[in-house]
Amino acid sequence: MTSDQAGGAAPPDEYVEAEIQRLLTEDPAVAEQGITVIRREDTLVLYGEVESAHRREEILRRVAERFPDVPISSDIGVIRAQAPTEIEQLP
Amino acid sequence: MVIRIAAVGDVHLDEDVVGRFRPALEELPECADVLLLAGDLTRHGTEAEARCVAQEFGGLAVPVVTVLGNHDHQCDQVPQVVKVLEDAGITVLEGDGVVLDCAGGRLGIAGVKGFGGGFAGRCASDFGEPEMKSFVRTTNESAERLGAALRSLDCDMLVALTHYSPVPDTLVGEPLEIYPFLGSYQLGQAIDSAPTALAVHGHAHAGTERGTTPGGVRVRNVAHPVIKQAYSVFHVGDQLDTDQVSPIGGSGSQRSWS
Repeated sequence: MTSDQAGGAAPPDEYVEAEIQRLLTEDPAVAEQGITVIRREDTLVLYGEVESAHRREEILRRVAERFPDVPISSDIGVIRAQAPTEIEQLP
Repeated sequence: MVIRIAAVGDVHLDEDVVGRFRPALEELPECADVLLLAGDLTRHGTEAEARCVAQEFGGLAVPVVTVLGNHDHQCDQVPQVVKVLEDAGITVLEGDGVVLDCAGGRLGIAGVKGFGGGFAGRCASDFGEPEMKSFVRTTNESAERLGAALRSLDCDMLVALTHYSPVPDTLVGEPLEIYPFLGSYQLGQAIDSAPTALAVHGHAHAGTERGTTPGGVRVRNVAHPVIKQAYSVFHVGDQLDTDQVSPIGGSGSQRSWS
């Protein structure tokens, strides 16, 4: 290993992806385990579903705050909570 | 005999969600005898969040039975969380069970949170470092307590309630690499050790609704992001209208009770 590889360089995208995935769970302001992070060319896409619009906004705010230079796009939905219209019968 | 079971998991309540489920929950007496909650009731397992759960799921006209999930353990306030839920009339199971008198018969529900470990041929072993042995022993002990609780209940119909999955079937959609963090075959083995009619779990947000244990017990993943409605309703019994029965491995829910 050469010494100039040891420090200073920006982490590879794969490490950023891993850090964001962990932030989504471990940051108390987020605490989401159901958000998927996908690397797509120059951007990271977050998708999944959360329980409120506030939580979706908080995810984007926290990720942007921690990784201001990483282009992020999001496709996070808010889960519907209506009564069911069908049942399942199990003999 | 038909017993009507409503179930949902992973509702992750906090102040910002209180009230969203309530309109649908008010309809429960018309369509279900009991509501099962499959863990991850809160975001971080705080007493304050548990009060949100109590507000949303307390005081319903049907009994509510729950297990806790991994999120409900995050802040190490499990005793406080359990107390708030029980004060609201919610039955919290962990290695034990309850029998409810329903119109269709006596419904026995045994529950544990469960734990990860993986599935047959691709699972962690009780071997090596203390941390690994502790991990697997946690799984084993949880499954043993579930099996013992299931076998102990005197009832007409038996249901297993867990947070972690007892089968890989209902994890389809999740990355294969994380299956060992989503469930364990030992839970399935415990379910198969008793005449269980239905097993209900959550935890796998990107998983699939339907599966079966190796012993043929129907398994349903009711994580809220999977079912995408306030709760699912299952009519379980031996006097169903067979024209409306979903076969094992069937492709979808049948028409409503209308």
